[in-house]
Amino acid sequence: MKNRPVLTIAATLCAGVLGLTACGGGDAGGEAAAEGPVTLDYTWWGSQDRADRMTKAIAAFEAAHPDIKINPNFTDYDGYWQKRATEVAGGGLPDVMQFDISYLRQYADRGALLDLEEVADTLDTSGIAETLMPSGQIDEATYGVPISTNALGLFYNPAIVEQAGVAAPTGDMTWDQFDAWIAEVSAKAPEGVFGSGDYTGTFWLFDMHLRQQGKQAITEDGQVGFTKAELKQWWESTAELRANGSLVSAERTTQLLPKSPFGAGESATEFSWDNFLAGYLTDSGAAKLEIVAPPSDGDEKGLFQKASMVYSIGAGTEDPEAAAEFVDFMVNDPEVGQIFGTSRGIPASKTQRDGTTFEGADAQIVAYEESIAGELGESPAPLAIGFGTAESAFKRITEDINYGRTSVDDAVEEWFAEAESALQQ
Amino acid sequence: MSTVELRGPSAPATPAAPGLKRARRAENRIGYAFLAPWLIGFFVLTAGPMLASLYLAFTDYNLFRAPEWVGLENFTRLLDDPRYLQSVKVTLVYVLIGTPVKLAAALAVALLLNSGMRGQGFYRSAFYAPSLIGASVSIAIVWKAMFSDAGIVDVVLTGLGGQPGGWVGDPDKTMPMMILLATWQFGAPMVIFLAGLKQVPKELHEAAAVDGAGALRRFWNITVPMLSPVIFFNLLLETINAFQVFASAYVISGGQGGPAGSTLFYTLYLYLRGFQDSRMGYASAMAWVLALVIGLITAVMFRTSNAWVHYSGESK
Repeated sequence: MKNRPVLTIAATLCAGVLGLTACGGGDAGGEAAAEGPVTLDYTWWGSQDRADRMTKAIAAFEAAHPDIKINPNFTDYDGYWQKRATEVAGGGLPDVMQFDISYLRQYADRGALLDLEEVADTLDTSGIAETLMPSGQIDEATYGVPISTNALGLFYNPAIVEQAGVAAPTGDMTWDQFDAWIAEVSAKAPEGVFGSGDYTGTFWLFDMHLRQQGKQAITEDGQVGFTKAELKQWWESTAELRANGSLVSAERTTQLLPKSPFGAGESATEFSWDNFLAGYLTDSGAAKLEIVAPPSDGDEKGLFQKASMVYSIGAGTEDPEAAAEFVDFMVNDPEVGQIFGTSRGIPASKTQRDGTTFEGADAQIVAYEESIAGELGESPAPLAIGFGTAESAFKRITEDINYGRTSVDDAVEEWFAEAESALQQ
Repeated sequence: MSTVELRGPSAPATPAAPGLKRARRAENRIGYAFLAPWLIGFFVLTAGPMLASLYLAFTDYNLFRAPEWVGLENFTRLLDDPRYLQSVKVTLVYVLIGTPVKLAAALAVALLLNSGMRGQGFYRSAFYAPSLIGASVSIAIVWKAMFSDAGIVDVVLTGLGGQPGGWVGDPDKTMPMMILLATWQFGAPMVIFLAGLKQVPKELHEAAAVDGAGALRRFWNITVPMLSPVIFFNLLLETINAFQVFASAYVISGGQGGPAGSTLFYTLYLYLRGFQDSRMGYASAMAWVLALVIGLITAVMFRTSNAWVHYSGESK
């Protein structure tokens, strides 16, 4: 009897709270249906710099389309996916989203994304290369439109190379030649400066290495596309450099974070996506950094363009046409291209690319991608679920090897166990 | 209506008039209304999610597909997961070494401050200050800078003839660094110790001193037993806190528990599994194992406390 008030109050509170959450869940993408201007929720990840550019691009869109209002929202990359995951569980994704190809599959599988074929009349993708479109496609449906591209390259710092008195790396070295070059630079460069860090920890680079042999690290249906022996060989390829101290040590690499050894000016080279150039220039303060094609043992370079990001539309949007209108503008409009430069990678759409004048580092990246244009294979499709986990485990386990905490044999077993359980999900 | 029988001897002899009862009930309601913010918080933000996670612990759930019941699989998989075992090891080392070190530091400083030196108020605030800012992200960042290559710690230690090199990148030195960070924030237990020390009767010390007991002897035989309830309280609280360390490890290792898994604390691994790999079922199972272990340790500590905790005024 005495307990009754508690129960009543608790029940009332719960009811009230349920009511609140129900209201909260219901109004995602809400106001759109009413007459007057349509409002689209639009979200992206990125820095303040990107937000400033985005504000300009949105203003340009709203000026051209007075009947559509954009409600913008942005966060950092990690927070971004946590937020989307909560929204998808609650059923209320924004109308238009910047997406990464590593997350596309999960959301598409769940039916949370609009098949963009449905709005193909409004959303023009004719300016985007055929080899690039698979980036957003799963089983005949298109869930993402590439915004921009990047490609792997071998960066080098000409000042360090010159100081060491060795020839600059070229785009047609074999892996062995490159490893020998690293050893030479590390020997001749001043104390504390090396030819490279341990590049075998970069999963995408291993993927490229496999593509040179006509394979792929992880297939579209989520299978590991190489054998344990191949992974062992890859990790052992730098064993000698590791052993004789020709690589930036694991200790040093950890300490330098968030900068990379190359960004910190302690390494002459680094493999990375070409749109890292601007960041590397800022980090290192170097006057000039160069990009060449990565090594290959054969004619096949294994290079490809990756969609650095894509646009997707939430399946629950109230106005797919308006959303498509916005995406079309953001992907194709030359003015938007001018606003962003290559800060998101090179614009994927030819109309946007042609309308943009590239200067300085931007021009250098465009020139690099043009130089490898003849070598490009098909872009990777949306990554298998679990790819991200497998990729970060790859990096972590390579680090363990460099710390001497594990042997290459154990490392191979560990990665396969981890990757297989992640990819099964 | 059993209210009447439940009343203690101090209650009025005559049963309450109906009007009074109604007033009492109204009063209760007002009481609950005032409690409402806490009740809402408890049921909605704590109890609800906890029950949900208990269910999820027995499922395979990645936020995208509906949870799928897998029974005990998550729990059995924990034992085969080398990173899980690593996180258990790291956390246990931290708790078993860090907590006593921190409490010893807190007690030592409390004893110093209790010795009646001048400017006590100032020192008390000064020693407490790290605890005010300690849990913050900024301190972890400062800590990381201090223990890096050519950071202040490296410079001083090298100057004293130690081996050069930062601690942040060396898997063998990250744990001492984490324990130092925790120890440095001894303010809260120190203040509690200080309050406890003030309660130790001076007469006991004086009497013992007259009988020829030295300072060390008086500490062991008077201060420690008299302080034991406070020690117990601090030990309990700090142990529980140590199990849940997260923010500092997250910041110092860049969120990955490195280098070489040396700062992969339990909660950090839980977070990585849940929010980086979207394995909510697995992470929930981890959370419940942690909750049960902490519960168990607390229970054991309470049980054994009879043997060493002395409450003054208690006859034994």
